[in-house]
Amino acid sequence: MPTNPPPSIVLEDVILAYGEHRVLDGLSLSVAPGSIYALLGGNGAGKSTTLSALLGFAKPESGTILVSGIDPAIAPDDARRQVAYLPENVALYEHLSAVENSDYLLALSGSPRSRDTIITALDAAGLQERAWDQRLGGFSKGMRQKVAIAVALLREVPVLLLDEPTSGLDPRATGDFNRLAIAVRDRGTAILMVTHDLLSAIDIADRIGFLDAGRIAEEVEAAGPDRFDIRALHARFAGPVAV
Amino acid sequence: MGDTPVGDALMRIWMYEARLLMRSRLAAFALILMAVLSIAAVIAGLWEVASQRAAIARIAPAQADDIGAVADWIDKAKDPGSAAYYSFHPTWDAPSPLAFAAIGMRDVAPYILRVRALGLEAQIYDGDVYNAELALPGRFDFAFVLVFLGPLFVIALFHDLVSGEREAGRARMLAALPGGSRHIIWRRGMLRLALLSTTLAAPFVAGAIWSGADGVATLTIVAVAIAYLAFWAAITTLVSWFGRSSVANAAMLAAIWLMTALIAPTLAHVAINQTIPVDQGAEIVLAQREQVNRAWDIPREETMRQFYAAHPEWADSPPLPATFHYKWYFAFHQVGDEAVAAKVRAYRAGLERRSQAAAALGWILPSVGVQAILTRLAGTDLIAQLDYQDRVRAYHRRLRNFYYAYMFRDRPFGKADFGKAPRFSQD
Amino acid sequence: MSVVRLIARDEWRLMVRNRVAVIGLCLTVLLTLVAIATSWTHQRGVADLRARHQAAASEAFDAQPDRHPHRVVHYGHFIFRPLGPLAAFDPGVDAFTGNSMFLEGHRQNTANFGDVRQSSLLIRFGQLTPAFVLQVVAPLLLIFLGYGAIARETESGTLRPLMLQGASRAWIVLGKSMALGAVALIVGAPAMAGLALIATQSDTSLFPVLAIAIGYAGYLALWTAAIVLVSAIVHRRRDALLALIAIWAVTVVLLPRVAPDIASVRYPLANRIQTDVAIARDLRAMGDSHDPDDRHFAAFKQRTLARYGVSRIEDLPVNYKGLLALEGEQMTSALFDRYSSQSFATQEQQNALVRAIGFLSPTIALRSLSMAAAGTDLAGHRRFLKQAEAYRYSLVQRLNRLQAEGVTYADDNADDAGADRRKRVTAANWQAIPDFAYRPMAGSDGAIAALSGLAVILGWLIAAALALAWATRRLGTR
Repeated sequence: MPTNPPPSIVLEDVILAYGEHRVLDGLSLSVAPGSIYALLGGNGAGKSTTLSALLGFAKPESGTILVSGIDPAIAPDDARRQVAYLPENVALYEHLSAVENSDYLLALSGSPRSRDTIITALDAAGLQERAWDQRLGGFSKGMRQKVAIAVALLREVPVLLLDEPTSGLDPRATGDFNRLAIAVRDRGTAILMVTHDLLSAIDIADRIGFLDAGRIAEEVEAAGPDRFDIRALHARFAGPVAV
Repeated sequence: MGDTPVGDALMRIWMYEARLLMRSRLAAFALILMAVLSIAAVIAGLWEVASQRAAIARIAPAQADDIGAVADWIDKAKDPGSAAYYSFHPTWDAPSPLAFAAIGMRDVAPYILRVRALGLEAQIYDGDVYNAELALPGRFDFAFVLVFLGPLFVIALFHDLVSGEREAGRARMLAALPGGSRHIIWRRGMLRLALLSTTLAAPFVAGAIWSGADGVATLTIVAVAIAYLAFWAAITTLVSWFGRSSVANAAMLAAIWLMTALIAPTLAHVAINQTIPVDQGAEIVLAQREQVNRAWDIPREETMRQFYAAHPEWADSPPLPATFHYKWYFAFHQVGDEAVAAKVRAYRAGLERRSQAAAALGWILPSVGVQAILTRLAGTDLIAQLDYQDRVRAYHRRLRNFYYAYMFRDRPFGKADFGKAPRFSQD
Repeated sequence: MSVVRLIARDEWRLMVRNRVAVIGLCLTVLLTLVAIATSWTHQRGVADLRARHQAAASEAFDAQPDRHPHRVVHYGHFIFRPLGPLAAFDPGVDAFTGNSMFLEGHRQNTANFGDVRQSSLLIRFGQLTPAFVLQVVAPLLLIFLGYGAIARETESGTLRPLMLQGASRAWIVLGKSMALGAVALIVGAPAMAGLALIATQSDTSLFPVLAIAIGYAGYLALWTAAIVLVSAIVHRRRDALLALIAIWAVTVVLLPRVAPDIASVRYPLANRIQTDVAIARDLRAMGDSHDPDDRHFAAFKQRTLARYGVSRIEDLPVNYKGLLALEGEQMTSALFDRYSSQSFATQEQQNALVRAIGFLSPTIALRSLSMAAAGTDLAGHRRFLKQAEAYRYSLVQRLNRLQAEGVTYADDNADDAGADRRKRVTAANWQAIPDFAYRPMAGSDGAIAALSGLAVILGWLIAAALALAWATRRLGTR
């Protein structure tokens, strides 16, 4: 490999507190372009706050946060131009169709696209043709996610932030999502996904970080044909189980 | 892949905002209902004004009939006093072109009043026939739709502007877009405000054009209406921003509306009438009547001295004969009026102060302020009523002088002289 | 039954925890108390003022010097409409009708100086009275407290678990209704206490007070049922709230204003100039006492002469001018009666139409009921006008008779130096004339007048109860 490209997401020694309570306490991690970083952790470990900080919603007391080299605390709009964010429950406009939703959101983010382009992206995201012009009212979470990812693809953002993308998805939909995430990564996008879903993380992540009390307690990188030692990870994540 | 020009994006956003709004059942229903109510109110107002105009137009034939009969028998004796005594002269207060928008007091205060050259204070407070039970709830006019119903529609359209996105789970995603959600909320607010203002104001503007209203006044009312709706939109958005759920917001806003549109004005009414006591008008009339009737029990010359002192232009009239003479009769009527002039001024000043107090309150209570501005521009408020009374007073002065010129100079008053009587004109 | 009470208690606990609701309830109760206080002082003040004016006017009338009776016909009399004690609860049209009248011969004057023309535009926003609070404010408060009663459970999916725990649909609905009904009681209680106070502080008949109490109780019960009904039908709290506010706005604010417009277009009312000119025309057609050749008065003269068996007016034992005045007044008065009956018939048609629209808006029905029972409706005003006209007529005719019998024809026509003195009759005559005494409506009449409104409200209440029973059966079946 030639020189490594600079990481798209950087968090370094980030300390962020809500009042007296330090939610992030020296958090450091980085995500390179074209890689997936899975951030695992229990409730209250600081996962959502990490995303908030990256989106510029929460400002750290100290430390460095960079999104494509931009500090979201200083220039939130510039940072957000580099980011697509998918909340846990991707909610779109039920009164608009998939194409209309995409069209609208693209226009809102200042990157309008033609209908053909949108359809190509929806297709690439795996949304079936009959759903393109259907109102979103009856869409499942998986389908809505596909629309949102199509929008992210069309925005050509270098960073994708995913909040619990697989929670509530059935195994088949989870598989669909995982394939899509890999496809996006392979286009060079840096993906940070916050999740409870160890299996998905093992399947697609290039690196897994365990968040505990606001800092990375342990970080493992995929290596070798098996990528991760599933047993060790599971033990680390769920705690030892007495049999 | 930037195959669509970016300048197009804004157009596209507006188009989607409109589409989203019209596809929301509540919003579409609210806008249609607003349009229907506004159209109905404007039509009701125009109808009322047209029927008032028609009533004023009917004065002339009725009056011709009446005065003709009086003239027929007066002509026999040609006595100017009898002519003055028996002749009623119509005055009227034609509705302004904008009166349809705010009927104001025109349904309870007379807009036609016939007066004789006799004591005016016994005549000027007379009312017209109206059904008090119909007047009690207030009129259904544009002002009502704007002042009372407008805020409710704003609340229906705006209460979930912010909280709705939160409840639908889109708020964070929208906030994460470049530009954030503030622009989106702002645009949606503007769109709702624009559509609501249009559905509310368009029927009014059509009505104003139809009745030939002054452009500046019309535009002022439109501006006031938009400002009033914008005020409520701002309050609603504020509550929606800081409030919790959409439901809680709606309840809170309806309560604010109830306070400002219904309860505060009724409290203020009690307060104003308490702090600005107005000597009952009845006292003026009682005092004037005592003055007038006292004349029969005092020497007639005393009355005439009083009268000539105030009106030297008639002092060269021949002395009273031993028998009844109408010039004495009219003189004591006028002396009676003049004896209560101070009371009349005080009464009027009190009414003006009450009206001003209400208008001042309008700076705090927008509902009152808008109603005050509308009735002022439409010329249908208490001040307009007092102006009409001023015109009646001025006309009555001319009437007196007209008849006095016959009475005090003992000139015969024939049939032809009826046509020479001054005629009331609106301005 | 205890399940019902449990559900009601649960609902109350939620309401108490909702700070906005508690504040709203307290404010409404406070507002009612303020309304009672101001309305009562206002009514007392107005009643005192009018009584004072009436006393002054009667005194002035009695204090007249010796006068020619016809002078007194034109001096006339001022009368003031007394304000009944129940006007403190619902002043009705009092502010919109004039309350003082000048009574004189040959003319029927209007009642003048209604508050509406002496006040700022604020009076058109409504008047702060207990009736206003109960009619307008109380329903809105009940809506705020009750819209979520069942819709909340439906929306959050707690309705089914509640039913699985053994609460039947009927119990749930009953419990929620009980909770809201208790709030309605709290809201209505101060006003009813005020009403009771007003009734005990004056010798008011019990019937109209009862009619008012039943009417308002039925009205608040109706709103309670309607709110629970909407809350049961609609699946989302927000929809329930918006639907209820819309219903409130239409029935309480909009319809009461639209109905009068429809009525006045449907039954146009002749204005004063039309009536006055028509009366003058009719009078001329009937006869002109100024015209010596007039057929009517020529015949009258012949009849009079024949009755007294004389051939010349001068030989009559009574003053012919007085007889003429009597005859003339009788003619004009009959005309006044006819035209005012016509006008009131039209107004009655208008009000009947409004009351018919009251089938759609119980608020209109309640308003007419309340005013009718309090004696402050248009019929109450008309009662005053009728008595005023009767008094005017008897007063003027009494004075005319005085002229016929107390002043000789010769003196009446004389214009020598002492004639003025001889034409006058003694002042004792004025004092002998009884003062105007307004006879207020009998209590039972007020109650009877309120019956139709009461029927509408009770009809609505039954309909709402039936609808609620129907909605109860399909509760949670979606």
